[in-house]
Amino acid sequence: MAPSDTARPPLDPRLFGDGPARDPRFTVREVWAELENYPDGTPERDHEFLHRQMNEEMCVMENAARSLADFPDADWSVRKGLARQCADEARHTMNYHRLLLARGGHVGQYPVTNFQYRILGRIDNLLGRLAVQNRSFEADGLDAATHALAEARAKGDEVLAETYDAQQADEVCHIRFANDYIKAQLQQSPRVGLQIARALNLCAEAFAQVFAGGGEDVEKYGVAVEARLEAGFSPEEVEVAVRQSNERRAAVRARLGLT
Amino acid sequence: MGETIRQKADRVGTFRYISVFLMETLARWIPTTPELEAKVFFGRQVWDFAQHADWLGRRTGELRSPMQWSLQPADGYLRVLQTMAGATGTMERLAGLHDGLMPDLEARYRDYIARTDRLNDEPTVRILERILFDFERLRADRAAFPAIRPDLTLADAGWPARIAAMARAETDYVSSRAAARAAATAS
Repeated sequence: MAPSDTARPPLDPRLFGDGPARDPRFTVREVWAELENYPDGTPERDHEFLHRQMNEEMCVMENAARSLADFPDADWSVRKGLARQCADEARHTMNYHRLLLARGGHVGQYPVTNFQYRILGRIDNLLGRLAVQNRSFEADGLDAATHALAEARAKGDEVLAETYDAQQADEVCHIRFANDYIKAQLQQSPRVGLQIARALNLCAEAFAQVFAGGGEDVEKYGVAVEARLEAGFSPEEVEVAVRQSNERRAAVRARLGLT
Repeated sequence: MGETIRQKADRVGTFRYISVFLMETLARWIPTTPELEAKVFFGRQVWDFAQHADWLGRRTGELRSPMQWSLQPADGYLRVLQTMAGATGTMERLAGLHDGLMPDLEARYRDYIARTDRLNDEPTVRILERILFDFERLRADRAAFPAIRPDLTLADAGWPARIAAMARAETDYVSSRAAARAAATAS
């Protein structure tokens, strides 16, 4: 669906900054409903997924890079974590690019959206950015990768399974360094929790705009408990995430008439 | 070389400053460079320069200066870094760093190794040798890039050579701590 076909209000500039540079091969859209969302089980869906993941990994790399440049006075340990994340996300991007080409696809074959980068552009502090990018986006990605790994193995797609396996190990490290940094900062000054809360609220508002029309109707998988614990979430935090995920999935199933 | 521990720390701290500067420059270039292949090229190398900074920063602590301490280079060399970092074209960025600046930086690391006492200063030498080992891989990545994106060319063909000439002209790259402090106070 092209943007001109939609009658949606423009994205709120208070919630979305400028997008990253993309070469002319890419068609950049703003919201989920403007992407090509094929149903599960269709051949196009697998292809489009590789292309979407390739662009998302690129956005995550761009976010880590921007934070590295924007906060030169942050602790060296967290800056090192961001630098490592840049390199890891670059490898993930290359990996999906390689898979896409090997399976007959090409860069620019499907439209993409850069909402992750645009949302983080409206968060002006490192704690808030890490809370949103590493503790929320990456943690959700960890859940998705855990499910996708099992799915790829069940299908006998060993190449894809190996990709997810390696990516999952990297994501655990990215979440952990952010968790370590955030917890240390909170211990020093609990008031910084306000920055995190503000960033998460902004993200929730922005998500509602990006995924209006069904983009959040994920009911297939829940929280990857073991991986999240490994990534530095406390058992209590994981318990809350599991409860929220179960409630959300139940609501989605009810809405879609799947119960 | 016959330098004091403090002078050695100043050189190592300056090398660290340069590594951090290059890490940050690549980080700034990633979202603002359009081509996927160039973005991931820069993205992988951010971590290389971060590791170099980290190794050098551990060494500054051993040389009786603070851990992870950086010393801003002499003004002339800083201007070279800033000029290189100011490139906006994809190939100007890539070639300005790899063909313009890095051969000069490599020469400075080799010069340090050649002039220091390898036994007294062995930990610094080992760090610089590890960095030079990485530089070989970075050079190979740069040499392979035109095959990945043969359509990307320099809009300003003389750019890398100009950066190289600017860098070569700056023989003194280490500023004194007093001068660096004065500059920091003034800014």
